[in-house]
Amino acid sequence: MMRPVNFLTCLLPALLLWTGFMTLAAAQDPAGDAIRQQLIEAILNEDEEQTDRIEAMAETGSDLAAKVLTQWRAGELFLDTAADGQKILFTREGGQAVRLDTAAAFTPVAPKEMETSSKIRRAIRNALDLIAVASPDAKLRTAAISKLGMTQNTDYLPVLVARQTRETDKDVRKALEEAIAVMQLMDEDDAVCIAAVKKLGEMRSLPCLDLLRAMTTSEEESDEAKAEAKKSVALIEAYSKKVEMAGTVFRGISAGSVLLVVALGLAITFGLMGVINMAHGEMMAVGAYTTYMIQNIFGAGLSLSMFGLGLNIPGMNLTGAAYQSYFVWAIPASFLMAALVGIGLERGVIRFLYKRPLESLLATWGISLILQQLFRLVFGPNNVQVSSPSWLSGSFVVNDVVLGYNRVFVIGFAIAIVLLTWLLLTKTSLGLFIRAVMQNRLMASCMGVRTERVNMLTFGFGSGLAGLGGAFLSQLGNVGPNLGQSYIVDSFMTVVVGGVGNLIGTVCSAIGIGTVDQTLQSVTDPSMGKIITLSSIILFLLWRPGGLFPTRTRSLEG
Amino acid sequence: MRKPENLIMILGALLLLVILPCLNAFGTPGSLFHVSDYTINLWGKYLCYAILAVSVNLLWGYTGLLSLGQCLFFSLGGYALGMHLMLMIGEQGQYFKSGNNPLLLPDFMVFMGFPELPAHWIPFRSFWFSVLMVFVVPGTVAFLFGWLAFRSRIKGVYFSILTQALTYAASLLFFQNKFTFGGNNGLTDFKTLLGADLNAADVRRNLYIATVILLIAVVALVKWLLGTKFGKVQKAVRDSENRVLFSGYATTSFKLFIFVLCAIIAGAAGALYVPQVGIINPSEMTTDKSLEAVVWVAVGGRATLLGPIYGAIFVNALKSWATTAYPDYWYIILGGLFVLAVLFAPNGIAGFPQQIRDVAAWWKRRQAPAIEPDATPA
Repeated sequence: MMRPVNFLTCLLPALLLWTGFMTLAAAQDPAGDAIRQQLIEAILNEDEEQTDRIEAMAETGSDLAAKVLTQWRAGELFLDTAADGQKILFTREGGQAVRLDTAAAFTPVAPKEMETSSKIRRAIRNALDLIAVASPDAKLRTAAISKLGMTQNTDYLPVLVARQTRETDKDVRKALEEAIAVMQLMDEDDAVCIAAVKKLGEMRSLPCLDLLRAMTTSEEESDEAKAEAKKSVALIEAYSKKVEMAGTVFRGISAGSVLLVVALGLAITFGLMGVINMAHGEMMAVGAYTTYMIQNIFGAGLSLSMFGLGLNIPGMNLTGAAYQSYFVWAIPASFLMAALVGIGLERGVIRFLYKRPLESLLATWGISLILQQLFRLVFGPNNVQVSSPSWLSGSFVVNDVVLGYNRVFVIGFAIAIVLLTWLLLTKTSLGLFIRAVMQNRLMASCMGVRTERVNMLTFGFGSGLAGLGGAFLSQLGNVGPNLGQSYIVDSFMTVVVGGVGNLIGTVCSAIGIGTVDQTLQSVTDPSMGKIITLSSIILFLLWRPGGLFPTRTRSLEG
Repeated sequence: MRKPENLIMILGALLLLVILPCLNAFGTPGSLFHVSDYTINLWGKYLCYAILAVSVNLLWGYTGLLSLGQCLFFSLGGYALGMHLMLMIGEQGQYFKSGNNPLLLPDFMVFMGFPELPAHWIPFRSFWFSVLMVFVVPGTVAFLFGWLAFRSRIKGVYFSILTQALTYAASLLFFQNKFTFGGNNGLTDFKTLLGADLNAADVRRNLYIATVILLIAVVALVKWLLGTKFGKVQKAVRDSENRVLFSGYATTSFKLFIFVLCAIIAGAAGALYVPQVGIINPSEMTTDKSLEAVVWVAVGGRATLLGPIYGAIFVNALKSWATTAYPDYWYIILGGLFVLAVLFAPNGIAGFPQQIRDVAAWWKRRQAPAIEPDATPA
């Protein structure tokens, strides 16, 4: 056991050092000192001008003032009356009392919480709003300005106008204009009001739509203002429809990209090779579970129990950017893993069934049952948690259309793998062999192509693509033993609609189905949308069995 | 091959139709010669599956159409009778007993807030109308789908994939609460059929006997059909559709007829299945169930008369045993069985004797393996 003396001798200098540092920090900031004095004055003098003084704190635009006022409102500001009657305001930081006036640590004698009345709280809120308007962060500033505008409290108008003259940031200027116009809607002067309505219409301000709508029927407004409001409402509504449509199209394209990523592997194994691989969905699950394992290896490790045997996979316990980069490694890993499983499947089962396509459908379904149950046994019957890396969560806004990073990423990803597949098939010798074997297996074999090997590699490649799809799905939805089942019908439909053996067709049909599906989902509810999409696809295929781009062939059995 | 098959048919029919029910009705409980009510009910279920398997075999084995939608027709038949059974619950329903259901709606409708009985439910109050619908609904759906599909010359794997999509879409539709068929939970909690208590032992025995009679009738129909000129064309369609077409036969009509007939058989099987099992819900019409029915046929032996029945009974008995003995491994067993059957025993259980003879002959000659006797083209 450590001797107490030792412990104290260590602690004391550390404490001293820390206190000294804090004092130093406070002393180096004369502006901060002035703000502290101003704050103390505003808080302690409980007279009639107190609320004014609090609101005046806003003009400092200081983070410190915002912090202290927030603490005060939350009941985290205390008053200590020293033996000599001196009043000391302090806050607690990490269990240590810190004086407000000098920012030095001290020991309070008779601490008491500083209380707030509703009037003071209102003043604090106003002050905080205004401080946020002056915040150095443009995003916070925009948010604060929009919030102020929506209150339609004309008291803030001068502050905003003053701000407008100084503001340089484009987005913030736009928010300011909007907020000012919204406030001007309350103006007594009809001309100002009408001008503001016009302005909002021109700005296509979506948040003001309801406000303007209310104006068109309001009793208080003049007829002229009402007419102008109606015009603006029409403008904004048209714009809102456009935004909605753009959003639907974007979601449709991204949903189509998901379908494409999922169906591309199938377009290889089914479209080119003619193998009905019902275990294709499980290849995706292999990719998704590989992502899950890579994530855990980068994190805290993972223990699995298989058939009564425990398997502990140690983790690297990475944090921060290194951990976030796990997905970059997971992508090739899931490709390889799924490709390996696919090659095993091809060697073990499918190669005996090339001449019996219906039976390869049945055998691979058996495989898919086995794989699903293996996932259940190894990873448990429930969904496992795969967290998105931070660079894939979040979104950005372009002209009021919200674009999620992961959705944008999936579109880019789909483009990349389609391009890679195309390059592989058309520009490499392996691609040449693949096309030759798929067109005429016997003839290719006669020309010296090792068809067995080409079959194996093609199937492995198709399965690997499914694995990539799975890695991506793990970022968008749940990872569980049934992951593949929910996509298998969709991906078959995508390939058939596109025209079997036609990659471009697959791309078109994936994007088309995704967009139609999303549009219908926004009109009806999600599951009805899916039912209608599926029924339309079935009817389309009954009408045009060859799909969008049927392969032209003279073969009778084609 | 022909003679033992006839013998097996007669013996099997005797056993299932006479001996088992008699042992159930007259055997002393506990003695070796007693068949429990549970067993009778279980076999009733197996035989319903066997009828379904016969319909799958008629399509896949003899006509070469692998339909993954047979379970849809099975369920449609089941739902048609289930609706009647639902309406017959009447005053025995929980909501009526607690006074919340004066209109005598099925319980799930009260629960989901339907104000009154939807119009398409009303005729199902009549038993005979419902029985008619058991045949008409699956038949109509099959006719429409088959007509469109065969007209466009959809065949082979495309037909399978499309029927799979059809089944998937239908199950999604039946999962919807507002589709008025009970959504997720389906139709259940049946009480009476034609006034007889569905839980009584003799009613269950009679349902079992009805199932056996239907099975025998269906097998006899298939046997007769195969012997006719029609059956010969049907097999020719399977083996080389284009040659049949160019010989002047309208293959589309042949296929359409078989497809509708099989849908009706499956629907009838479903209608007998529902009162014996006591529930029908959308999970019965998933593509997995259809594929399972195909497994029965593949394991039992496709393109054989009795193979599907062996397969349905064998796989389901195995399932009953394995899901309690090795619940974790059942799907691995089923999947593995399927892979093995497809790879090594393309003629299934019914083909075993021939296969054993072939292997013996091969062993004598020590020549190239004859494990795969002439497989019929898919």
